[in-house]
Amino acid sequence: MKISAGLPTGVSASLFDSVKRRRRLEALLSGLLEERGFAEVLLPILDYFEPYRPLLQERLLKQLYRFVDRDGQLLALRGDFTPMLARLLAPHLDDLKLPLRLYYRGDVVRHQPLRPGRMREYSQLGAELLGGDPDEADVAMLTLFLDLLLAARGEESGGGDDAALRVVLGFAGALDEALLATAGDGAAGELALRIASRDRRAAGRARLTEVVERGYPSDLSVLGGAAEAVTDLLALRDRLAETYEARSVQVEVDLAEFAAAALDPRVGVSAGPRGYYDGLMFAAYAPGTALALGVGGRYDKVFRSLSGDCSAVGFSFGLDLLTELGDVGA
Amino acid sequence: MITFGLPKGRNLGPARDALAAAGVGLADLDASRLRQRFSGEELLGVELEVLLLKDWDLPLYVEHGIVDCAIVGSDVLEETQPDVFQPLRLRDGRSRLSLIAETPQLPRRSGQLRAATRYPAWAARLLAARNLHVEVLHLTSSIELGPLLDLTDVAVDIVQTGTTLRTHDLHEVEILAQVAPTFVVNRASFHAYRRRLSRLLGALEEAEAAGD
Repeated sequence: MKISAGLPTGVSASLFDSVKRRRRLEALLSGLLEERGFAEVLLPILDYFEPYRPLLQERLLKQLYRFVDRDGQLLALRGDFTPMLARLLAPHLDDLKLPLRLYYRGDVVRHQPLRPGRMREYSQLGAELLGGDPDEADVAMLTLFLDLLLAARGEESGGGDDAALRVVLGFAGALDEALLATAGDGAAGELALRIASRDRRAAGRARLTEVVERGYPSDLSVLGGAAEAVTDLLALRDRLAETYEARSVQVEVDLAEFAAAALDPRVGVSAGPRGYYDGLMFAAYAPGTALALGVGGRYDKVFRSLSGDCSAVGFSFGLDLLTELGDVGA
Repeated sequence: MITFGLPKGRNLGPARDALAAAGVGLADLDASRLRQRFSGEELLGVELEVLLLKDWDLPLYVEHGIVDCAIVGSDVLEETQPDVFQPLRLRDGRSRLSLIAETPQLPRRSGQLRAATRYPAWAARLLAARNLHVEVLHLTSSIELGPLLDLTDVAVDIVQTGTTLRTHDLHEVEILAQVAPTFVVNRASFHAYRRRLSRLLGALEEAEAAGD
């Protein structure tokens, strides 16, 4: 019988040079993480499904590959590292010496729609900082995110501003009050999705044109209670820009990017890369790519939903995308 | 350089006119050539490469980042659901997606209705939202022939002037959705060219408002 060399949809194998490049990148990044005091964790690929019901939004739960094993247990293949790590650590928070710096690497599997660059099995490398002062932790992890990104790209690329890496900052729920004030409970979710898609007419009706044009309004009072946090975010952007713009990384505040990461249940959406963030959020893009190279943010609510109380901030990169970025840099 | 995708076919004229009104003149555009370069004018402050591609293919080029931005029919976007930003729907070149039948009302059937369309996924969503349980058949052209040749009971298709319907003595039973040429942008390109694209989009909006 002739044996097919085909693989399931959304799955690929790495062979020869691509494996060497990937392993070199992993070694480089894990070396940097260990230099900064992060310890590697190895997490299982197979886990129970039930504990993730309260942790993940419906869309992500549907994307988990799940099955009943021979003991009758409902199991799932690993679809995300962060909630798994939180679930394992939450019962032991009192015994752990915080702050805790951890990193991981490995494959995740999600039955997601096939779009350009999006596989159903793909590799991630990520880091988490648990405990400590939340503001300091946010800055430390964002700086680490940028440094790893630069290390993966190789030294500064030429090509001017248009060729720079873009890191966008925002935070979950920043537009909730403005969305509810304009559209009310019934339509705020739809408006959030339109603003996330940079719909100028929808933004104009909500008097949020500046949010889709430059990322934030000049009059921050339209954001209600979120104004103070955005002021802090702008200061953080300025601080990071001083260091990183000379290294061909543009850092911008873009509240529209995370408009759908609502916290107020009346807005009724919690879309975006991952729905569990509840504070600072960030994402990195390279010109000409289909997907974000990496995303991250604060996710204290994951621990709260596990009956724990812990400051938590982290990020992950798509290793295949980062490898390509390094190839371009080389 | 910004790479701009323009659609061959019915949306090319409105797209070109809208860009011209906004200050991006493409007067020398040769509709038979795939790739052409333009100065981009002061508005963009960067050279513009225009790629002429089929409407149905443009979302994929934009999503992959081969094309930074494009003007694509919203009908194609609804059917293909690409992960791209959609900052502006143009006003010129609008049409509608309608339910079409040989009778002014929806035909009565004891069983499930059949509909012919070139938008199977979008039509199924729209019809399901109206509690119409319809078997959707995918045709690639001459959709009106579905009901005329008794392949289906109804058709779901774009109506612009209604000439085709009158020619075949068909009826527009219900308008299901509005369709418009839509400006789309690759996610990473939006961040790379945010200021330039915002200027262009602002100019497009202003030109449309001035034309009202």
